[in-house]
Amino acid sequence: MAVDETVIRLQNVSKTFVIRDKKVAPFFTQLGWLVNGKNVRRIEALKNINLEVKKGEFLGIVGENGSGKSTLIHLMTGFYKPDKGGKAEINKSFIRLSLGLGFNQELTARENIYLNGTVMGLTLRQINEKFDEMIAFAELEKFVDTKIKFYSRGMKARLSFAVAIHADAEILLMDEFFGGVGDERFKVKSDRIFKESMIKGRTIVHVSHNLSTIKHYATRVILMHQGELVGIGTPDEVFQIYKEKLRVEKLHLRDYIDEDNAI
Amino acid sequence: MQQSITYYLSRILPENNQWERIWILAKTDFKLRYYETTLGLIWAFLHPIIRMVIYWGVFSYILNPDIPNYGMYIFSGLIVWTYFQEATRKGLMILRNKRYLYENIRMNPYDGFTSSVLSTVINLAFNVGVFMVLSPFFDIGFSFNMLWSIPILLNLAVLVYAISLILVILNSFLKDISQVWDVFLLGMFWINPIFYAKALIFETFPALMYLNPIAGIIVNLRDALMYGQMPDMTLFWFDWAYALALFGLGAWVFNTFFHKAMEKL
Repeated sequence: MAVDETVIRLQNVSKTFVIRDKKVAPFFTQLGWLVNGKNVRRIEALKNINLEVKKGEFLGIVGENGSGKSTLIHLMTGFYKPDKGGKAEINKSFIRLSLGLGFNQELTARENIYLNGTVMGLTLRQINEKFDEMIAFAELEKFVDTKIKFYSRGMKARLSFAVAIHADAEILLMDEFFGGVGDERFKVKSDRIFKESMIKGRTIVHVSHNLSTIKHYATRVILMHQGELVGIGTPDEVFQIYKEKLRVEKLHLRDYIDEDNAI
Repeated sequence: MQQSITYYLSRILPENNQWERIWILAKTDFKLRYYETTLGLIWAFLHPIIRMVIYWGVFSYILNPDIPNYGMYIFSGLIVWTYFQEATRKGLMILRNKRYLYENIRMNPYDGFTSSVLSTVINLAFNVGVFMVLSPFFDIGFSFNMLWSIPILLNLAVLVYAISLILVILNSFLKDISQVWDVFLLGMFWINPIFYAKALIFETFPALMYLNPIAGIIVNLRDALMYGQMPDMTLFWFDWAYALALFGLGAWVFNTFFHKAMEKL
């Protein structure tokens, strides 16, 4: 196995969405739109992105809201297909982790663990084995058979993190998934697990507004701006560009970073 | 202790993540339908009986039909019809309801459909179970021909699967489809031999029996479950061919437009 094996490759990837605005109009005008296609807008969410992610890398993706970060993740997973001429491939098992995972509010923690565990590629036997460990880690022993709609946000976050650690995938695509889970004590514990077992040996693509996580873990960072890849390099290099961009727009990077002031 | 059947089965059966996932999804779907209620699963039994009694009361009064064992006659028709109606309505929404799965993992896109059809089949099995339990009280004896109901209902499930594949794609491009489908279902309800004898309409319009595969399935299921007879084999094979052809079309539509459809949701 080559050391610098490429596991995700995007070549000339652009993504245009065609959306139809919902406007109030008389019935016959609306019928007319169906025929002549008015009221339709094209949105270029991504413009000509070229990117390779190597095995074992921790790639951070930063940028403002609407800059195309999540769309980029969706193209990596193959959920969206690139516009003509572009090519996107991912050639290892992966999972996209987003806040709340696929938790169903009406189900208990036990049921959600089984549901999400199988979704994450675990067999039922593996879930049986890891079940107690997950509950213990999330510190939810007393609420195993409680519907999670009665959980606090912190409890849900802990549970989703406890399940996600065990995901059976070589690549984790985290869309605002990790960073500041639960209270201080849990944060310390989850930070340790994150570093020692979750990201170890895996390839990570991490989208976050929490720049301190990226600063701590990322080996490479890209900066997205209005659908374009405008910066790539070490966290420090890219944060510098980001700072500059925000300065032009009279914003402060400090507002984007949490209390420990990564920059 | 809440260890479920799933827990024990998983200890005996060979491990297979794909099928286990489909099973858990189907089970969850089924469970959520009755979860909030106090009577819970009892509703799965009560529903078909109550429905049968209401229709029976109303239609035997209005139509005054010359059909022996009319209550069970209606029941057998309703088993097929309510399943078809509920499962296709649910099928319309699969991509929306299961979006989080398609978004997060590399999953065979058909898995979402298989689990959804499976969860409705569990419901169907409940209905057939109720029918079987009631049968002796209505002088319906056991016959081995009753086993024909299995391939007949399987035929129905394949048909629902195929229609769901097509509807789900149409629905993501044009939301009006769910309205159109409701109107279509309303029409179909009345051209199927649920309340009246099959002769009533099909002697006048024999083509309807073939254009609309649900009619054949209802007629054949009755032959098997109520009359202990062999089904009409021409209809039986025709309806299977119909369902498989529609499945072929559905798979083509689905494979071609799946990604575009997901972007629209």
